[in-house]
Amino acid sequence: MSNIIEVKNLFKSFGDVKAVCDLSFCVKEGELFAFLGVNGAGKSTTINIICGQLYPDSGNVVVNGYGFDRNPDEIKSSLGVVFQNSLLDSSLSVYDNLESRAALYGIHGDSFRKRLHELETILHFEDLIKRTVGKLSGGQRRRIDIARALIHSPKILILDEPTTGLDPQTRKLLWDVIENLRKEENMTVFLTTHYMEEAAGADYVVIIDSGKITAQGTPLELKNSYAGDFITLYGVSEEEITKFGRPYEKLRDGYRISVENTGKVTELILKYPEAFRDYEITKGKMDDVFLSVTGKKLTGESDNGHA
Amino acid sequence: MGTLNALVKRNIKLFFKDKGMFFTSLVTPAILLVLYVTFLGNVYRDSFLSAFPAGLEISEELIDSLVGSQLISSILAVSCVTVAFCSNLLMVQDRANGTVKDLTIAPVKSSALSMSYYFSTLFSTLVICIVAAVVCFAYIAFVGWYMSGADVLYLLLDVILLVMFGTALSSIVNFFLNSQGQMSAVGTIVSAGYGFICGAYMPISQFSPGLRNVILFLPGTYGTSLIRNHSMRGVFEEMTSQGLPSEVTEILRDLVDCNLYFFDNIVGVGTMYLILGGSVILFVAIYIFMNVLKIRKN
Repeated sequence: MSNIIEVKNLFKSFGDVKAVCDLSFCVKEGELFAFLGVNGAGKSTTINIICGQLYPDSGNVVVNGYGFDRNPDEIKSSLGVVFQNSLLDSSLSVYDNLESRAALYGIHGDSFRKRLHELETILHFEDLIKRTVGKLSGGQRRRIDIARALIHSPKILILDEPTTGLDPQTRKLLWDVIENLRKEENMTVFLTTHYMEEAAGADYVVIIDSGKITAQGTPLELKNSYAGDFITLYGVSEEEITKFGRPYEKLRDGYRISVENTGKVTELILKYPEAFRDYEITKGKMDDVFLSVTGKKLTGESDNGHA
Repeated sequence: MGTLNALVKRNIKLFFKDKGMFFTSLVTPAILLVLYVTFLGNVYRDSFLSAFPAGLEISEELIDSLVGSQLISSILAVSCVTVAFCSNLLMVQDRANGTVKDLTIAPVKSSALSMSYYFSTLFSTLVICIVAAVVCFAYIAFVGWYMSGADVLYLLLDVILLVMFGTALSSIVNFFLNSQGQMSAVGTIVSAGYGFICGAYMPISQFSPGLRNVILFLPGTYGTSLIRNHSMRGVFEEMTSQGLPSEVTEILRDLVDCNLYFFDNIVGVGTMYLILGGSVILFVAIYIFMNVLKIRKN
């Protein structure tokens, strides 16, 4: 797979605040790329630079083979963005909103109506088309936001915390749509999210903190490197567990022991085989990775401001 | 061109969706007319009567029409600019609520975006000001009609030009605003101050020579004078036919700013059109340049 987004040595400051500091990463075509960080870590600044809304102090961004210096329009045509907060005109109807936004990409008349019909079918908003956007529920409005982002059939879809505050049913619908688009149109998805289960499904994850990359890799690589494993033992006494000399957590029907990696588990099994009568080994979660890497927990609150 | 049309359509729809703003803008000129007639009508009348030679008989209807013409010309001169400022708020609202980000994320030219605000404001302001002009014509018809068909057409042309001027001026001023509070403050200042500096509330002829010379550098002044000329021409013509000496009508024309003197040189109507039209072109060019510069600076 070729790189569809390349970010090299990116710097951006707002006064004394260094929002992004020497950031470099690549996004491969067709992959689901997760960009994680707490509020103020520099996610939105990076996205704004990739989208051409902000100019970096230094560094280089190449999107779909184009640089912003020479081909801003080509880059903008290849990007679809779902912002944290809906930026559609709340007093206009869904149709009026999508019609005006499609026109920005030169899509008018029959071409617009054809694309609108496709999106109505994909995102199931046929019954909302005449409704005023301001009167839609959060989930309905999010579907329209995604339709707006997809109106010009972009190669890259940037989702800035797209599912924050949505009910599970709408969240599932959105992810089903995104997965289908990835499979059928090989669309690249650039995601920021506070939901670690969404990040766990990504092909590649970059975690940033204070404008710098603190960890990157596939979810499996990150779990192996930063989260360790857990052994859960059933039908054993606390006396047997204390022999391991490791921190443990008492559960209702057993004990959970944290270990660095799968090799350490093997060592324990070989050393204390009598204790391993009924057990399971699980990998750490992305929450554990994030906590381990940044020392912070993602709160699930919306990221505001530019940093 | 399709993108510009779509953006203009969007902006106009948003303006007319805000029914409160639209109806307030629509009713304001009518309220101003009532206030002017109530509080300023007699002041203007006394001022005119004092300029007539003793013993000269002029019909009441002619005096009423002269007073009415001055009132409507003041209202139209002020409304064309202040309504433009009130209507041209969408670009500030788009910045304040972040919608502009959703527009500029697309490959839309900054000139198309900025001109879409200009044209949509021009359209909505024209609708309101033409309605105001119709109300003013109805008032003049009520107090005494002396305008010719050409006067009406010229006056409508004056209104269109002044609206273009007001829209261009408000586009430049509103370009620097980012919040609702700033919008309200500028709206209040313009509503209160513009009538004075364009010679609508008080004729420029009554100002001190120094202030008069300064005000004559402001293009809006010539818009007011154009409207005055075309609304009053018929009245002055009728006065002359009723025996008023041409010297007196010239004094009256000086008094109500139909004649403007730029450092003692009289400014003709054609020159006024050139100044106003040139200002529109200059201001629109500045506005587009500011938008392009902003994009590059960003």
